[in-house]
Amino acid sequence: MDAADYVNLIVSALLLAGIYAAMSVGMTIVYGVMKIVNLAHAGFLMLGAYFVLELYERLNIDPLLGSVLAFPVFLVAGMLVHWLLVRRVPVSDQPTLASLLLMFGLWLVLQNLGYLIWGNSDRSILTPRTLSSIHFGPITVPTVRLLVFIPAVCSLGLLELVLRKTWYGRAVRALMQNRYAGRLTGIPVEKMARLTFGVGIGFAGAAGGLLAQLYSFSPDFGRGFLLRSFVIIVLGGLESFWGAAAGALVLALVETFSILVLPAGYQPAIAFSLLVVALVLFPGGIAGIFAKKRRWA
Amino acid sequence: MKAASVPMGRFLNYRVAAWGATLIVLGILPWGGISPNLTRLLFTSLVWVITSVAWSLLGGLTGQVSFGFAVFYGLGAYTAAMGINAGLDPLAAFAISGVVAAIASLLIGLPTFRLRGPYFAIATIGVSEAVRVVMTNLSFTGGASGYRIAEHGTFRPLEHYYTALGVAALAVGTSAWVHQSKFGLSLLAVREDEEAAADIGVNPLKTKLLVHLLAATLTGIAGGVYARYAAFIHPDGVFGFQTSVAILLMPIIGGAVTVAGPVIGAFVYGFVQEELVAAFPQFHLLLYGALLIVIILFEPGGVVGWLGKLWAWVKRTRRKSALASVG
Repeated sequence: MDAADYVNLIVSALLLAGIYAAMSVGMTIVYGVMKIVNLAHAGFLMLGAYFVLELYERLNIDPLLGSVLAFPVFLVAGMLVHWLLVRRVPVSDQPTLASLLLMFGLWLVLQNLGYLIWGNSDRSILTPRTLSSIHFGPITVPTVRLLVFIPAVCSLGLLELVLRKTWYGRAVRALMQNRYAGRLTGIPVEKMARLTFGVGIGFAGAAGGLLAQLYSFSPDFGRGFLLRSFVIIVLGGLESFWGAAAGALVLALVETFSILVLPAGYQPAIAFSLLVVALVLFPGGIAGIFAKKRRWA
Repeated sequence: MKAASVPMGRFLNYRVAAWGATLIVLGILPWGGISPNLTRLLFTSLVWVITSVAWSLLGGLTGQVSFGFAVFYGLGAYTAAMGINAGLDPLAAFAISGVVAAIASLLIGLPTFRLRGPYFAIATIGVSEAVRVVMTNLSFTGGASGYRIAEHGTFRPLEHYYTALGVAALAVGTSAWVHQSKFGLSLLAVREDEEAAADIGVNPLKTKLLVHLLAATLTGIAGGVYARYAAFIHPDGVFGFQTSVAILLMPIIGGAVTVAGPVIGAFVYGFVQEELVAAFPQFHLLLYGALLIVIILFEPGGVVGWLGKLWAWVKRTRRKSALASVG
């Protein structure tokens, strides 16, 4: 291994981190506003992947454009799901097991709908650019990874802008900090929750479409990425976007560099063990929540 | 108070009688000329009864929802498989399965029980998936290509059946004992409020570890019983996420805070899965996902809760009609 190899690894970790952040941000925002651990996130990632695949195969719409189109479609779907199901479980300042199990049931339904519609064979999106790469001196970057990284980071920037500059964004941040105080200042909590859930699912759909261009997928697609999303938001401190970005970077670096020391077969175990380690040993990321919990109970 | 205690006692006797009758029926059923297929179906359902009852102790009574029971089931299966291949008596192998699963439950429980509610649930997904990946890559167990049990002699389905029935009866008996014991009360206390439980002298961590250990032991034995019957196991089966999910769904659907609920859930799951899997391989999980949503939203008591409501309704209408006929 010389220096160029390390640089290559770092660059690929960075590119991976971008898409990881876009993938987990939907979960972060839903958790922040509604205190719901959205296990169905995995189902919507999977649906996003098939959405983009169908658009590409049937209508010949470019997968990148397809991922962008997925956002509004999944936003509406998410709002519908909130109206149908999510608003019916009681909310509190702590995530409840009822909401966790509800979202898990929804994930099972989505996943197996996927099996019914698309069968269980692995699919992938192949475009002319799938196998090409770009060279910057000694650094080689696969074109798709770069092309997927750009919309991922742009969407995160856009979300940040919306959260900082708009009334909706201020309301969301207020609700994340304190639900009751937010209600007292006249924020329509129910409406905000619906919209936020829609945005979260919209991100899941778009991120699923982006991931589908990098990996092959089946209706079970979301599971590994769901666990990675957990790692990221737990590492980052559950309610912060910059934390999620940092968490994504940590996970991407650990995963990328683990290839040097671990056999490839064990690689998926890294995210899963890191999740347990992060939850148990680094409550630093979620220190606020732990403190709050003690006070609350 | 005294008047109320008499029908309560009678009710309890009804229960014991009902369980005894169920056990006797299941005991003589294989002699009643039922098809080998039905025996097999009953066997799998009985194995599910063990895991389902075990899960309900932790997930229902204690309120700690775990997505990681496939770890114990898989460890039990592999331990029994290797023990039997090494020439051990099957019953001894099952006992070791239980011990291995119990040790694993302590190793998993000690760190993860510091987490509460949904955080614990998420951590168990991580543990379960990590163990599955490791088992897929471990060479001395055959890795992803699985592990075969070479038992000499003829295959005797009834021996497997009665082993499963015996362990299931043990599990239900344990659960019934826990439900009426002081230990069961401390589990409920931990479920409702850990701080309050600690204030009245219940150590939440110790309690959770103990019930986790009990549940893991039973689940490990169930895995061993299944492995001996199946004679071939592989990581994506016994350690699979689907196994964890199945073990979780059965008691919740049946009603996880009762003794009977998990048993009903297991039989329903065992039979419905068999019928549906042949026709639509994925349809049964779709059904269970939908059922889970309905149960969470409308009837957290599961099938047993729903039956209870139905019974109350029947009694009410009966009383009404009786009053009407008198009036």
